[in-house]
Amino acid sequence: MRLITTLTAAALTIGLATFAAPALSSAFTKAEDAVEYRQGAFKLIRENFGYMSGMVRGEIDFDADQFKQRSKALVHLSNIPFDAFTGAGENATNNSDALPAIWQNWSDFESKRDAFQSAAVELAEAAESGNIRDIRPKFMATARTCQQCHEGYRAD
Amino acid sequence: MSTVTIHLWDGFVRGFHWLLVLVFAGLWYTGGNIDYIDQHHQLGLVMLALVLTRIIWGFIGSQPARFTTFMQSPFAIFRYFRRPTQHEYLTHNPAGAYMVVIMLGLLLAQAISGLFTDDAIFFRGPLAQYVSNDTVRALTRYHKQAFDFILIAIALHLVAVAIYTILKKKLIKPMITGKKEVASAAVANAPAQRHGGWGFLILVVNLAWIFYFLS
Repeated sequence: MRLITTLTAAALTIGLATFAAPALSSAFTKAEDAVEYRQGAFKLIRENFGYMSGMVRGEIDFDADQFKQRSKALVHLSNIPFDAFTGAGENATNNSDALPAIWQNWSDFESKRDAFQSAAVELAEAAESGNIRDIRPKFMATARTCQQCHEGYRAD
Repeated sequence: MSTVTIHLWDGFVRGFHWLLVLVFAGLWYTGGNIDYIDQHHQLGLVMLALVLTRIIWGFIGSQPARFTTFMQSPFAIFRYFRRPTQHEYLTHNPAGAYMVVIMLGLLLAQAISGLFTDDAIFFRGPLAQYVSNDTVRALTRYHKQAFDFILIAIALHLVAVAIYTILKKKLIKPMITGKKEVASAAVANAPAQRHGGWGFLILVVNLAWIFYFLS
């Protein structure tokens, strides 16, 4: 009896896991939702990064604490949009600036994503120093990872 | 045929032309590179001031610099290409005249659209905040795509100058020295000059307000 219960439970678990697997690969069931999700994330990244650029480029006064917070936020934000390029978000280009080239060159896109994410981490580490001279090169390095990915993967 | 040397291009026209070359080269080099976006912005403001001043000079400057001196009906372009050597043109032939206007128009549109751009990374043009995001998007796209048209216009310009040089018609020297050799019969029509210094004064005023409001 006990054996049967265990086996049933195991079978159910495996069955459920198999059934649930496609849904788990991405939180989205609709392409539209995936597109809005990643656009929302990129919008936050853009505004956050724009705020930091004001300090780096001398448009607003440098505030070490503010910069530290913003750079930490960027590290988190940098992890958000990319899940929405998979699952229902795969090949989703309606009302989107994402180009089909993303999915045609998926491993290259992934390596550009990784470059962005590690640049964001390095920027946040530099921000800990509170020294704008340490921050500036890391900030520009991060900006370059944005540009390198937009080039070819984002519509003009 | 006896020739005489007349004063054709005033100091401002010549200074404008070669400054344009320098500023354009700088804009080309800094464009599309996130590391130089601020320099691109500043150079774009210089370009805007240069082109605006040249347009003003085209109305109030020396006779050869004025649009009314060299602009003709568009049909004159066809007549010109049918018989290119029928007339001697002191300033621009009809095709060259339209090229001047097209070039100034493209550069002005490029400079103005640049003020509304957003690079989707961290740069926002000084006027982007005053228009909708759709407009920003459209003007950013225009700014990128129209650059190719400017390159084509410059290529055509250089080809035309090369052809003229092969045909032994001097275009480059007058744009450096301001002086041009013409048949002495034409001396009666020597164009009225205005000192180029006035043009540079207008340029300085334009630079001042443009940098004050748009840098």
